Amino acid sequence: MAQRAVWLISHEPGTPLCGTVRFSRRYPTVEKRARVFNGASYVPVPEDGPFLKALLFELRLLDDDKDFIESRDSCSRINKTSIYGLLIGGEELWPVVAFLKNDMIYACVPLVEQTLSPRPPLISVSGVSQGFEFLFGIQDFLYSGQKNDSELNTKLSQLPDLLLQACPFGTLLDANLQNSLDNTNFASVTQPQKQPAWKTGTYKGKPQVSISITEKVKSMQYDKQGIADTWQVVGTVTCKCDLEGIMPNVTISLSLPTNGSPLQDILVHPCVTSLDSAILTSSSIDAMDDSAFSGPYKFPFTPPLESFNLCFYTSQVPVPPILGFYQMKEEEVQLRITINLKLHESVKNNFEFCEAHIPFYNRGPITHLEYKTSFGQLEVFREKSLLIWIIGQKFPKSMEISLSGTVTFGAKSHEKQPFDPICTGETAYLKLHFRILDYTLTGCYADQHSVQVFASGKPKISAHRKLISSDYYIWNSKAPAPVTYGSLLL
Amino acid sequence: MGPLSRDAWAQRLGAFRASPSAFMAGPEGEDLGRDLLSDLRSEKLSEQTKVSLLALSMEYPAQLWPDASAAEVAATSLLDTLVLLPPRPSALRRPLLLAATTALAAGGALGPTSGASCRLLPLLLGLAAGSDPGRGFVPASEQRPLQATACECLRELESCKPGLLGGSLGLLRGLLGQEGPVQPLSLLLALALRNTLVLQFRVGAGLGGLLTDKVSPTGGGPWDWTLVEEGDGRLQPQAPSWPAAEEGEGERSLTAREHSPEEARELRAAVIQLLDTSYLLTPVAQAQLLWLLGWALRGLQGQPPALFKPQLVRLLGTAQLTLLHAVLALKAAFGEALFTAQDEALLLRRLTLAAQHPALPPPTHLFYLHCVLSFPENWPLGPEGEEAAPLLLGPQLCRGLLPSLLHDPMALLARLHLLCLLCAEEEEEEKGQLPSPRHYLEELLAGLRQRAALDGGPRALATLCFQASYLVACCLAGQPTVLTPLIHGLAQLYQARPMLAPHFVDLLDQVDSELREPLKVVLRQMVVSRPGRDEALCWHLQMLAKVADGDAQSATLNFLQAAAAHCTNWDLQQGLLRVCRALLRAGVRGGLVDLLQVLARQLEDPDGRDHARLYYILLAHLAAPKLGVALGPSLAAPALASSLVAENQGFVAALMVQEAPALVRLSVGSHRVKGPLPVLKLQPEALEPIYSLELRFRVEGQLYAPLEAVHVPCLCPGRPARPLLLPLQPRCPAPARLDVHALYTTSTGLTCHAHLPPLFVNFADLFLPFPQPPEGAGLGFFEELWDSCLPEGAESRVWCPLGPQGLEGLVSRHLEPFVVVAQPPTSYCVAIHLPPDSKLLLRLEAALADGVPVALRTDDWAVLPLAGDYLRGLAAAV
Repeated sequence: MAQRAVWLISHEPGTPLCGTVRFSRRYPTVEKRARVFNGASYVPVPEDGPFLKALLFELRLLDDDKDFIESRDSCSRINKTSIYGLLIGGEELWPVVAFLKNDMIYACVPLVEQTLSPRPPLISVSGVSQGFEFLFGIQDFLYSGQKNDSELNTKLSQLPDLLLQACPFGTLLDANLQNSLDNTNFASVTQPQKQPAWKTGTYKGKPQVSISITEKVKSMQYDKQGIADTWQVVGTVTCKCDLEGIMPNVTISLSLPTNGSPLQDILVHPCVTSLDSAILTSSSIDAMDDSAFSGPYKFPFTPPLESFNLCFYTSQVPVPPILGFYQMKEEEVQLRITINLKLHESVKNNFEFCEAHIPFYNRGPITHLEYKTSFGQLEVFREKSLLIWIIGQKFPKSMEISLSGTVTFGAKSHEKQPFDPICTGETAYLKLHFRILDYTLTGCYADQHSVQVFASGKPKISAHRKLISSDYYIWNSKAPAPVTYGSLLL
Repeated sequence: MGPLSRDAWAQRLGAFRASPSAFMAGPEGEDLGRDLLSDLRSEKLSEQTKVSLLALSMEYPAQLWPDASAAEVAATSLLDTLVLLPPRPSALRRPLLLAATTALAAGGALGPTSGASCRLLPLLLGLAAGSDPGRGFVPASEQRPLQATACECLRELESCKPGLLGGSLGLLRGLLGQEGPVQPLSLLLALALRNTLVLQFRVGAGLGGLLTDKVSPTGGGPWDWTLVEEGDGRLQPQAPSWPAAEEGEGERSLTAREHSPEEARELRAAVIQLLDTSYLLTPVAQAQLLWLLGWALRGLQGQPPALFKPQLVRLLGTAQLTLLHAVLALKAAFGEALFTAQDEALLLRRLTLAAQHPALPPPTHLFYLHCVLSFPENWPLGPEGEEAAPLLLGPQLCRGLLPSLLHDPMALLARLHLLCLLCAEEEEEEKGQLPSPRHYLEELLAGLRQRAALDGGPRALATLCFQASYLVACCLAGQPTVLTPLIHGLAQLYQARPMLAPHFVDLLDQVDSELREPLKVVLRQMVVSRPGRDEALCWHLQMLAKVADGDAQSATLNFLQAAAAHCTNWDLQQGLLRVCRALLRAGVRGGLVDLLQVLARQLEDPDGRDHARLYYILLAHLAAPKLGVALGPSLAAPALASSLVAENQGFVAALMVQEAPALVRLSVGSHRVKGPLPVLKLQPEALEPIYSLELRFRVEGQLYAPLEAVHVPCLCPGRPARPLLLPLQPRCPAPARLDVHALYTTSTGLTCHAHLPPLFVNFADLFLPFPQPPEGAGLGFFEELWDSCLPEGAESRVWCPLGPQGLEGLVSRHLEPFVVVAQPPTSYCVAIHLPPDSKLLLRLEAALADGVPVALRTDDWAVLPLAGDYLRGLAAAV
């Protein structure tokens, strides 16, 4: 279980190479083992230049998709995981774990401890999951709290030293690189015995525990016969425990009000020591019934020093917070649109913000707009062919608002107006963006009194909640719209 | 040269990293390794710069020190630098240890004869044990980090040389029980334990007291390399043969491993100790521990897999990729012994859930989906190694894993595969249910085609559509309810966007005939029903070149005739001719003659006219089979874009002799000792059917007269062929090498020429007997020959070693036909005629147990050394 090499490559479309290797690290002792294990099928790790070129080609990130190229476009070259074979100098380097995130490509080559022909199934290669964790770890390190390019550069320059700690020989010791940084900076002189490897020191100071629950709600609404609207809540519970002692024990319980929606699909942080079987088995795959486990959900754990995600969950609330319809019709030279949004009465009517984005794809710039709205203001981004309906902090008493109008477009020019392969013809959507503080849709909360801490001193406990929208789509009900299989299950 | 400045080094390292091979080939390459080692001791450079030098050496030791001896020197120098560090905290100790370890392990220098290894190993083990090797070597503040680093170094060395730490198991276990750093020691102990178990098993030994013996293996004495040597330096894979666990050379049937009750108890205690503290390890380290222990204990008697059970619930709850992957490895290793049917179902549910959980990133989803389709089931039904939906994965579980147009391409394809597997299982009677997966699949494909048809859309959308179609065609071949709408939809896509022709051609090349043939028909109809003056004419011609065949000739020819008028540029004319060529190959004759005649007159481009005329001539003069070969793909089959070159090669292939790999093998059989000339017996063997084989021989050095060619009418693989006789006419009695060429015709009608491996004529192959003298006159005859050799000839005595068969056996085996006088078992007189006119006479007398003295005479002194070699080699030749 080891990596032969790792790369960070920034994707720079429009430049001659379309990218630059920002960081690379090779592990020669692992490479030596690869040569022995792979035998005749061994392909050496290439230098940065050829690797960059081959990877960008394989990921379709070069700017040349004008012509059909068989080695890239052939229908039989199907990749179903983020693991690739790269053609370099007539030989195929495999497996290369790689993904693109925020214009940065993360890549590594795990060691396969056997011959590569025939290729072993990925599931049997232990280095693959390690490679992913390695790359996710680097990604978290680079982008946690990073705001601009110079900070990114600083972090990139810290990587060589950090990997000397976290992955000195190609076998990853800790995916949390921040830990390694803290380790280098504050080499604790007297680390006591049985200190967890994921906890680099001990906290000294006022004890406090902070718990914040963030729920994201997503939805697909069609307003159509035969297609069901869908919505789902995804929750993240984040904790920061400042407690003295080597291994303080904490138990946090999440509770639901009587009519709350049960939590499902719960995934916990590895520091959680035990799990109730009801938590482990509660899943959105099963049909819901009244007997579903509805808490309290207890999570006993020993906290790491840093802020961490104690658990993730999903939930199926009975109704979407905002139900709406969107009707759009093409009338000769203009589009006629009608939008109606209704906030459910059970939802807290106190938004940090709430707005509806109404994009028009594959058309020219907006040249003319006439509209009427019962509430809020409309902003027009003519060049981007986008309308933003700013609803504000509160829905009116009726809880229902509407917008109607006509939009006219100019001639299409490909550079400026957005292209979208789905929103063609009258297929269109509007997307809701909103945030409500101190509220969860499931009703889930962390009761301060139920937090048990086995450590010296009584900690101050604080809890926060918020609901935000994510992928909240309302599709034009007058045209075909992409559906998921779930929408067909009526 | 004095030490470089910090900036000079930064520049040099930058240049090196940009392209190591270019830098090493340049003027500075040679000195880099040496400069680096010496500047590490320079007082002018900062520690930070030195760390960057060491970092480079950890990445590129093979470039800096390319062989084992250079690596040894480098490691020694690094260790010296380490020892010379002043006794105050320094950032260099860790990287120096890492660099020395890397240099030894990567450079192949690690071993009992390496001085650096013998210094480094005890140093590392001492540091790992938390002791100070003396004189303030380790400042107190660095003790813990160095202890951890030493463990990592030892682990890397153990990975590269399994068995290295077999003697230190007890020590490591003791350290883990005390207050050593948990993670480095756990991982080191687990690896050393795994390797020791495997190696000890291979030599049939148990663990002995290795786990309890707490004495340091060095104890002042030399390092113990026994276990490494027993292991032959073979590396140990983590999961030796997952998933096909029961076969192959790598499989060590572990059921046979047995340990004494005491050993088993100690082993179990050590494993429990490791597992109990595993919670203290980082998730990635926990995963490593589980992989190591799982496959080490697999099938080990007295080691119930239930040891792992307490960890499982905790692990199943997490979303960590490495941890769930490690659980799957345990599942694969132990199957039902660790996971009951209910556990299996739970694990599969957690996997399915993780494959779609919105809180996890897309690459994780895809890997989990792969794990679901490769799930190590307790009782797998399908074939090994193929992706398939596990039995427990019903439609209900899959619901959230089905594709939609909103997914990115990779997720869409992965999920589409699952959908196809579901459709393949869908029973007919379920048809009434809504929504039917098959119906959903159809809708999805239609959506993909719609996107691919978008004018100006990126090529990736088209590629995705064709990949999806291909996947469906592969998974659901034999399901007309799926294929029919697919074909119909693809035809419509072509109609909407003919510029996708290259994708269609590619798809037709990849899919089975079940989709290919009907799709070809539909596409051909679609193209030929159009007027010939389309702006997409070039795509239509490209498409037609693929789909045109003997059917619907007149429509095709009409289309081409109409199109010809609009083929005004070279590209289009070539496209048109390519279609003609396809028709020629398909055996179309009638109307094509007229069309080619018209083209040969009308085309604007002279090259085009020439080609049309050539096709016309070929069509008029060649019979169908020969025409097929002439236009068929060339043997060399280079993927050249130019049709002319490819075409040209087709003709060349048919009309000229081709250089080809040898399809025939020749071996030399026993030679015949009759008649006036030596005759070589050759056994031919064909790898493919070949006809009219002619074998030509050429003697190197003109030692023999030129040889006649040998003819064989036909050779087929598997059918025994008569041996071929090749008479030799030596000009002097010497062995020779024969060059062999073969000329033959293949079953496709091509004439090929091949160079075969040379044949060797040995000295003994030239031996002929003298005419047999009358009964009783043998001795006189021999003496006469013997005397006639001198004085012109030569004489010698040779010791001919005898094998176990003795002199009698040796003579009967090699010299029987040439014996003139025999007095078995002690004395023989042998007379050999060597064409053209030499003789070799041997007296083998007074044999001893291990050899016989041979007196020999010949009338040709040049034969003497050959005869000597021949006799000395006889015993070995048996």
